[in-house]
Amino acid sequence: MDVLGTLKANRTRFITLGVLAFLFFTAVQGMPTEDWVITILRGLSVGMITFLVAAGLSLILGLMDVLNLAHGEMFMVGAYVGWTVFVRPDTFVDVLSPLLLTVVGFVLLPVWRVWIQKVPFLLKQAKFWPWLALVLGAGLLWIAYARFPLAIWNPDVYSESPITYSLALSQGNLLLATVPPSAGWPLGLLGTLLGGSLLGLAIAGFGLRQQAGTMSNHISRGTWITTAVLLVLGLVTFFINSNITDFLLGISTTARFFVAMAVATGLGFVIGGLIEVALIRPLYDRPIYQLMITLGLSFIVIEVVRAIWGRPEFTMPKAALFDGSGDGCPATSFGDLIAHQCSTILLFDGRIRTYNEVFIILVGLVVLALVWLILQRTRIGMIIRAGVQDSEMVEALGINVRQVFTFVFAMGVALATLGGVLAAPSIGLSTDMGTRLLLLALIALAIGGLTSFPGAAAGAILVGLLQQFIIKYGQIGINLPFLAEPFKPSPPLVPASTVLLMVIILLILPHGLFGRNE
Amino acid sequence: MENLLELSNIHTFIGQFHILEGVSLSVPKGSIIALLGRNGAGKTTTLKSILGLTPPRQGSVLFKGEPIQGRRSFDIAAKGIGFVPEHRAIFRDLSVLENLRIAERQKGDFERKEQFIFELFPDLKRLIKLPGTNLSGGQQQMLAVARALVPDNELLLIDEPSEGLAPVIIEQMMAAIQQLSAQSTVLLVEQNFVVASKLAQQYVIIEEGQSVKHGRMADLVQDKATIHRYLGAA
Ligand SMILES: Nc1ncnc2c1ncn2[C@@H]1O[C@H](COP(=O)(O)OP(=O)(O)OP(=O)(O)O)[C@@H](O)[C@H]1O
Ligand SMILES: [Mg+2]
Repeated sequence: MDVLGTLKANRTRFITLGVLAFLFFTAVQGMPTEDWVITILRGLSVGMITFLVAAGLSLILGLMDVLNLAHGEMFMVGAYVGWTVFVRPDTFVDVLSPLLLTVVGFVLLPVWRVWIQKVPFLLKQAKFWPWLALVLGAGLLWIAYARFPLAIWNPDVYSESPITYSLALSQGNLLLATVPPSAGWPLGLLGTLLGGSLLGLAIAGFGLRQQAGTMSNHISRGTWITTAVLLVLGLVTFFINSNITDFLLGISTTARFFVAMAVATGLGFVIGGLIEVALIRPLYDRPIYQLMITLGLSFIVIEVVRAIWGRPEFTMPKAALFDGSGDGCPATSFGDLIAHQCSTILLFDGRIRTYNEVFIILVGLVVLALVWLILQRTRIGMIIRAGVQDSEMVEALGINVRQVFTFVFAMGVALATLGGVLAAPSIGLSTDMGTRLLLLALIALAIGGLTSFPGAAAGAILVGLLQQFIIKYGQIGINLPFLAEPFKPSPPLVPASTVLLMVIILLILPHGLFGRNE
Repeated sequence: MENLLELSNIHTFIGQFHILEGVSLSVPKGSIIALLGRNGAGKTTTLKSILGLTPPRQGSVLFKGEPIQGRRSFDIAAKGIGFVPEHRAIFRDLSVLENLRIAERQKGDFERKEQFIFELFPDLKRLIKLPGTNLSGGQQQMLAVARALVPDNELLLIDEPSEGLAPVIIEQMMAAIQQLSAQSTVLLVEQNFVVASKLAQQYVIIEEGQSVKHGRMADLVQDKATIHRYLGAA
């Protein structure tokens, strides 16, 4: 098709983009340079965080038609887990061994499936025993975890609450006592392994009814390798527990922050994979139930987070790299910024915060580029793009689409948890952060065109910019003709504006900016 | 002669609807066999039942003597069955090259078949970088067939390859199917009886979800009464 033809076919889209660009420049024109520079950077920062959530949401929706309503809560989990690794590495290391052993039970799912089919009794009584396994497994896990001397905090006592630990770290006087090992632990470890296995068995048992007759007897080598790796890791982390803790406490906060990012991302990947296999996969024929299950999951996750970390909001200190304020700060060049680890940099006379307005945007851009490369340049990316359109045809080519589903779900959740740690030092930790971000991401998706990856990015950035410009104008006011006083948009207008933008764009382009008319 | 594919009395449901009510057919190795029947008779559903896209609830499907019913579709396809669906199902966001590459089951499949594919469909070579969404109907049909040729498929299920194509393109498509049948067995669904009768050596007729008649195409061409009764054409 020639250029003119493309232009014609997408006339409405180009006009809309033109109007948006015009509005953007008008908004910029109305501010002094330092104000619009900082507003754009803040907008991009919020946009990037939103994008990290929206990207996974849109890939999952596009490929498997599942709207994961728990996606925002995954973002929240990323933040809380990241905080724990960063501020309380001792707790993180303590939890690691039982957690790894519990996961083994789920990884062994294919083994349980095959095993069940070999035991006539289990096959016959499939209505009954999965419930028993579920209750027993959950009970066993409860007891096992309780036996474990996990180093935790107490949100109800101020001096032992997350707030206090955060404060201590930022003031440089964080003191953590390591607990000596005791005889009860190995039993606890065994309990977690058994409990996880029972839960895995229960899931395999519940799946029996849906998949009757179509179950494969195949156990991949990957299952065994993963099991072995998890077992070894679980035991090793158990035996050198305090060494790992000391190591994590010894390294710089900058290094520890990167560890926290890696852990949260990796954990998101694992959680995402487990959710898909255990909860989503049995329900592909019943999309409404899938929706309900993700909704239910989000409530459960919120309650769990409240139970562990408490209801009050708290902050996550910034890593040393982004927190300096001594000599040479605020930096005037990027060289200085890194040399002095400044918390701010001067740009066009405005003070830009290194972490919020530089680092977050950089990470967002890197992730954007990486995901884009995966989608465009790798075989799995090609399969994902094809599957978004027609997963049945992909399967008919001989490709195991279900495996790709699991991968995409895992990757999507990993992006959300990464977004969570990344956002924590900037917006703080609260139990409603996930829900708020999910809404923002959904709006971004609707604007961008539900299942389009570039659309998710564009929608997220648009929403971020709009929010920040309105906030800024709320401070400095807009000089409107015929009005004596500058008009100041009030704070409630901020969320309303994004919804309004969505409504307007959907009225003009029912499939969003980059969506396709099916 | 050994049968490459054998369906015995399969029953398929879509939701509550009993669509196939007993379809049996054998596809001998190395032939083109036409699956005929009126609109809505169940031809497409038969192909999808073979592939497990609409898994049959009863009956057996043997491919190379091995039962494949109840297996997952990707597993069935990977045994060597290529599918060219009714409405082509070209991936719009993928380029022509990617549409071919995605069908690879082993690395290098495409390179091995490249020459053969471009001999059959020289047009595709020039379009290789274009996104699938920009292809014409005829080009999409060629790409859909070519895609099924990328891996070593012993059996090809081709659903209405002439649908909506101009006569010249139909000629080209027929020549291509003729040529590729030297390497793969073809189960061909075709509404255009002239096309079907020229290509196939054998036929099976489906009527309201049941296989009702089969035999040599040469005999069917003579049998105006049968053609009239089951296919409604002259
Ligand atoms: N998803 C579905 N739900 C309900 N009924 C269906 C569905 N798909 C197909 N059918 C019905 O199954 C029957 C057989 O359909 P099928 O597509 O196999 O026919 P066909 O022989 O390929 O017809 P055509 O020549 O028009 O392609 C038709 O009566 C159709 O209405
Ligand atoms: Mg059909």
